[in-house]
Amino acid sequence: MIRNPKLLLLLLSPLTATAAEERVLFNRDVRPLIAEYCYHCHGPDPGSRKEGIRFDREEGFFGKREDSEPAVMKGHPEKSPLYTRITSTDSDEVMPPPKEHKTMKPQEIAVLKKWIEQGAEWQPHWAFIAPEKPAVPAGAPHPVDAFIRERLTTAGLKPSPQADKRTLARRVSLDVTGLPPTPEMVDSFVNDAAPDAYERLVDKLLASPSYGEHRGRFWLDAARYGDTHGLHIDNYREIWPYRDWVINAFNRNQHFDEFTVEQIAGDLLTKPTREQLIATGFHRCNITTAEGGTIPEENLANYAKDRVETTSWVWLGLTSNCAVCHDHKFDPIAQKDFYAMTAFFRNTTQFHSDKNVRDTAPVLVLPQGDDAKRLDAIPAEAAATGAKLAERQKAIGAEFGKWQATAKAEVIENATYTKTLIAQVSLNEGTGNTAKGVVAGKPQAFALPPNLVWKPEGKSGPAAQVADGSSIDLGALGDFEKDQAFSASVWFFRPGASNAAGGILAKMDKTEGYRGWDIFYAGNEIAVHIVNNWPGDGLKVSTSDEAGKPDQWRHIAVTYDGSGKAKGVSIYVNGRLRKTKIESDKLKGTIRTKLPLMVGRRGGGGEVFTGAVQDVRLYSGVLSLKQVLAISELPDLRTILAKPVQGRTPEEKQRLLAFFSSGDPQSNELQAKVAALETEKAEIQKRSPVTHIQMEKVDSQPMARLLSRGQYDQPKEELKPGVIGALHPMPAGAPGNRLGLAQWLVAKNNPLTARVTVNRFWQEIFGTGIVASSSDFGIMGEAPSHPALLDWLAVDFRDNGWDVKRLIRQLVTSETYQQSSNVTKELIERDPDNRLLSRGPRFRMEAEMVRDYALAASGLLSPKIGGPSVRPYQPPGVWEAVAMPGSDTGNYKRDTGEALYRRSMYTFWKRSAPPASLEVFNAPSREVCTIRRERTNTPLQALVTLNDPQFVESARNLAQLALRSCKEDAKATLDFMARRVLSRSLRPAEIPILEASHAALFARYTQVPADATALITFGESKADPALPPPQLAAWTMVATQLLNLDETLNK
Amino acid sequence: MHPIQDFATYETRRQFFTRGKNALGMAALASLLGNDSSAADHPAKVAMQYAPKAKRVIYLHMVGGPSQMDLFDPKPEMENWFDKDLPESIRKGQRLTTMTSGQKRFPIAPSKYKFAQYGKSGMWLNSELLPWFSKCTDDVAFIRSMFTEAINHEPAITMMQTGNQLSGRPCLGAWASYGLGTANADLPTFVVLVAEPSNKEQIQAISGKLWSSGFLPGQHAGVAFRSKGDPILYINNPPGVSTDVRRNTLDGIKVLNEQNAAIVGDPEIHTRIAQYEMAFRMQASVPDLTDFSKEPASTFDLYGQDAKKPGTFANTALLSRRLSERGVRFVQVYHNNWDHHSNVAGRMPDQCKDVDQPIYGLLTDLKSRGLLDETLVLWGGEFGRTIYSQGGVTKANYGRDHHPRCFTMWAAGGGIKGGTVYGATDEFSYNIVENPVHVRDLHATLLQLMGFDHTRLSFKWQGLDARLTGVEPAKIVKDILA
Repeated sequence: MIRNPKLLLLLLSPLTATAAEERVLFNRDVRPLIAEYCYHCHGPDPGSRKEGIRFDREEGFFGKREDSEPAVMKGHPEKSPLYTRITSTDSDEVMPPPKEHKTMKPQEIAVLKKWIEQGAEWQPHWAFIAPEKPAVPAGAPHPVDAFIRERLTTAGLKPSPQADKRTLARRVSLDVTGLPPTPEMVDSFVNDAAPDAYERLVDKLLASPSYGEHRGRFWLDAARYGDTHGLHIDNYREIWPYRDWVINAFNRNQHFDEFTVEQIAGDLLTKPTREQLIATGFHRCNITTAEGGTIPEENLANYAKDRVETTSWVWLGLTSNCAVCHDHKFDPIAQKDFYAMTAFFRNTTQFHSDKNVRDTAPVLVLPQGDDAKRLDAIPAEAAATGAKLAERQKAIGAEFGKWQATAKAEVIENATYTKTLIAQVSLNEGTGNTAKGVVAGKPQAFALPPNLVWKPEGKSGPAAQVADGSSIDLGALGDFEKDQAFSASVWFFRPGASNAAGGILAKMDKTEGYRGWDIFYAGNEIAVHIVNNWPGDGLKVSTSDEAGKPDQWRHIAVTYDGSGKAKGVSIYVNGRLRKTKIESDKLKGTIRTKLPLMVGRRGGGGEVFTGAVQDVRLYSGVLSLKQVLAISELPDLRTILAKPVQGRTPEEKQRLLAFFSSGDPQSNELQAKVAALETEKAEIQKRSPVTHIQMEKVDSQPMARLLSRGQYDQPKEELKPGVIGALHPMPAGAPGNRLGLAQWLVAKNNPLTARVTVNRFWQEIFGTGIVASSSDFGIMGEAPSHPALLDWLAVDFRDNGWDVKRLIRQLVTSETYQQSSNVTKELIERDPDNRLLSRGPRFRMEAEMVRDYALAASGLLSPKIGGPSVRPYQPPGVWEAVAMPGSDTGNYKRDTGEALYRRSMYTFWKRSAPPASLEVFNAPSREVCTIRRERTNTPLQALVTLNDPQFVESARNLAQLALRSCKEDAKATLDFMARRVLSRSLRPAEIPILEASHAALFARYTQVPADATALITFGESKADPALPPPQLAAWTMVATQLLNLDETLNK
Repeated sequence: MHPIQDFATYETRRQFFTRGKNALGMAALASLLGNDSSAADHPAKVAMQYAPKAKRVIYLHMVGGPSQMDLFDPKPEMENWFDKDLPESIRKGQRLTTMTSGQKRFPIAPSKYKFAQYGKSGMWLNSELLPWFSKCTDDVAFIRSMFTEAINHEPAITMMQTGNQLSGRPCLGAWASYGLGTANADLPTFVVLVAEPSNKEQIQAISGKLWSSGFLPGQHAGVAFRSKGDPILYINNPPGVSTDVRRNTLDGIKVLNEQNAAIVGDPEIHTRIAQYEMAFRMQASVPDLTDFSKEPASTFDLYGQDAKKPGTFANTALLSRRLSERGVRFVQVYHNNWDHHSNVAGRMPDQCKDVDQPIYGLLTDLKSRGLLDETLVLWGGEFGRTIYSQGGVTKANYGRDHHPRCFTMWAAGGGIKGGTVYGATDEFSYNIVENPVHVRDLHATLLQLMGFDHTRLSFKWQGLDARLTGVEPAKIVKDILA
């Protein structure tokens, strides 16, 4: 438990003569012990506090208590109960109590004793005191080096010498851009003798657009960025424009305070720009659900919780999640504070369900190129056409006036019962198990399933609610052949959370190749299938817009002219002809099936529609537009015409006029134009990228309730938005919304944000933060290894405008960073984890870097920046193994061409099955915020870099590049590859090893040329036909060896 | 010899350490093996309080939540309640999923199945659908009084696997790997098998988060074996790379890494060398593991002929035995489609047919090989189902919604008292009337069977000694222990 190596040395080493003067510091030496052994019962949480004793505050140590002395008598351990209880031999007295299974070590007790002896000076927790810029110690021109060396000197260590220039070029290129340097860059740096050669290399790298990608990749872990919603069906979520924004923000060096404000509250800025809105995607990256049966309030509570936790980890370095159920056990975060913070996030327009769609509102549509112009122009065109329509309707107004006064709904209704009507079933009884209908002009009753439920609010009266197990069987109706013209119509209402796809009205046999016909929905699209044997023999026509929108009544009418062709199918939605796309047009055989006509499912199992239906109709022949309109308008006409003429609203009159004028060709043409413009707009929106944003509700103020024990169904008192009470207050004049929260996060007196931020960048570069627990700066977090350096960097960063590029430059230009990473036995013993920075950083690269490295070294890497996510190589079945039926990310369809070779940060991130080869290297699932990735080494990783086609193909391309460039010269080929992979030439001792490997491999592949061909054709890129396969294969395996060296995999 | 010491000596990790040359390199190697528990004060060591009865676990999770009253918890009196409403005195305003909360009625659906008594314990079981499993009754302890708080799949299955409804905690298998370490360095310690149900009408989500290591080190995450393609991702050499080519490549890598280690001095390089050698051994042992061609015909008579078909439950049951036999600590099997909101009559027979004989095969096989004593087999879903029907009800068919207040699970083998029936529910199988067992209690009991005190098997996380059973109290279900 002793975290200070210096103190550990003091207590354990024989050098006690010098160490005797060492002062025990409360924050560094004592608090960690108290936290570990005492806080559980004597900490900030009143729920678990015993005897009213608390050691999280100063008075807990020194304050007088009713029945006993203060816990600590300064200077007198033997009179201090804190010390005497710990050292007691009485099992009833001793602390911590034996049942806690925590026993203090003798050297830990010695620290406490010494602290009391030295006067027991108390300090508040260091991280909650705003940092002040300490004086830079003497001894080195660079402040980072000055602090690091002071500590090294105390520990009796010396810094390591500077790394050689090649190692350095490779290291700094990897840290600034995430990619290896080209051999040319390395050579030019090595040959540059100017004193500022290194600084110029750094500046060149900082100016490279790869810099923003690399920094952005780290940030996406914190933002928990993913390409799917994360829970249950785990469908696609479109939010990659936010990823582009992050990359761009780092590249244009947006200062971190602004970067913060725009992501937390860009939408609340005055006249936010498109970019500022995209930035708010940060808090739309949380996982969401659309699981049927989940409880809205619970979902919303979970989303808000995630946002507070993430904000706390990222900016404050606090584990606020511990305060979800109770006051934080260790840190001064009250449960009330936690829920007051949730209030900031509970006033947005986001719905409780993601509805399994790619664009869960609020979203920003980002039309590209000409689409943007069209989208701007359409409203004016629509208005102009609408005006013409109104004019035309005015012209026929006189006739309309007469009609309006006398029209009867029954007459209109009766007119829909044409001779061609085969059957009609209203499905509006609201009770009982029988539906009344008309078949061939005569009444007929249909039996309804016994468990059928009625939806009280239908289009006309209560509506039948079909579900799995309660679909409606309409018997032998609808038995058409493919050369018969027919029409079918139905009202339907689909709840947003229903299945992704299903049959609304179907006479179809799924088990017989889907023979038959149906009206089907898939997401928001409506489709008609007329099939003999799917997919080879059938028609499919679907609406290309959002015809089947959920949570509203939609009238669908379908006509088919019996031509056997897809163009003979028309789909009307709410009486309007919709533009359709033809998905299949090859019907040959019969479409007749013996299975009954079903409402709510296809025959032969599955594809169930869960929702409400009414007024099912079948006609022979093709209905006209006017007929369709009459059927679809009937329910509303009934209501409107029942009112006296004077009692009708202008909107209602407009409806009547539109209906009346549906017989007028000119009106129809104008109406069609209006509809076409609507469709065009919807299509542009559909093909345009969208991104998820935050939008504040305009009609309510942020508030939240405290949830007892974190349970959504146990809400307690109402809370206004607020911040952690024990920290600094909200800035004066800051609004009580997310913008105020953002201002509070970057306020000058915030003791945490600057420290936490510089520490995270430090971690990116050095592998471990100055505070190793980079997401926990609380009392139970690790103490900083170099507290003064952390404070100096934090204040320097903040006072220089939160300039990130400047900070990165500052870190990588230090001599500390430039040290050799070679280790001696002494260093292993004295500085095992390199926390003292006695040498340069050396550790395994992160998942994406490992892959990008191989692609870059082999020349395969695409330089393209930004855009939608890509699907590179992945073994089959990774998505399929976890996918729910109906998930739109259920089947992994690999991309081809350039998309295979993009940087790994663009790989499609399905959160229930993250990219397989990256996950093996500790890439997180991105379900929750990750501040520090793990770094493990497992055999599975070796299998990736040895066997994954991405790596094998890279090895082959590297070999190919080398062979083309070096012709037959084996030594030159080896050198070429080594310089691309290791940024150096091979050492003399290394050459014979690789030559021997190559000789054996070449012999083998010459002997078995089929193996050679198999190896070099692995992967999509083509092998150079000019190179003999055995030669290329042998060098491919040598390249594999180089790409798998420990040196290659390490930074 | 003391049983705990006995346990310690059979640990392969010990032998591994004695081969070590330098302490740090060996610590790194230990982490590679999933044996970071080598230090004497490691919580896993401290927590090892009992002689482990279960050295291996096979956990058969039935995804979706099987209906307890149709399989294990007969309620004959419900015949008289057909299509009558569930009394409010029983429901007690309990929360419902939004799938049935809008329902006006809660009509009772008596089970359509016949039940009979089996074994010495006289356990009542569905006598139509479990002809094989019912022969094993005397080896099995049934808990009819399991309960949880979660009412939807995602949180409930996460609770069952990780002890918490929200994602992000380590699962049971990861805890077992963390605590027990490896017993076969050539195979993963914790393996996940996802069986494909023959009926797929109501599949539920299962994903990698269920077998993640959460805040435990990553090597404790489950390795999902696949039924199609390579059993372990990337286990096969690329085309054109034979075993001797691979060996040649690795030999070169090894020498180069050793040379570099001599210059750079980083002990982690030795870890890397070992990592590549282990990968090579794993490549050799996995094909042998998944090759069933040497299994005698009698094996397939036992598990059923479906065991020959990759991906079936029968196939995973047989693979589970082969994994356990080779020392894999924790085998997690998932079998889907138990979420019977409707059409119990159509789905339940398919579900039972998938698992009935293979489970009999697995238990019988383990027993005849002398492995059952040390292998704990656990069976159950994430919650139970309601006595009332979702949607309409007929005597022949009905649907059931999620029900967290009571459900049945069973365990057999390693440390379990066979022929036990524990806990009871009311006449509606709606509320527990005797010996409730929370998911946490089950977890605590499981850990005890593995030798751990659940309050002490912990990992430092966010300043807390985080545990599988969390901060709420949990009790050991002593009555099911041998």
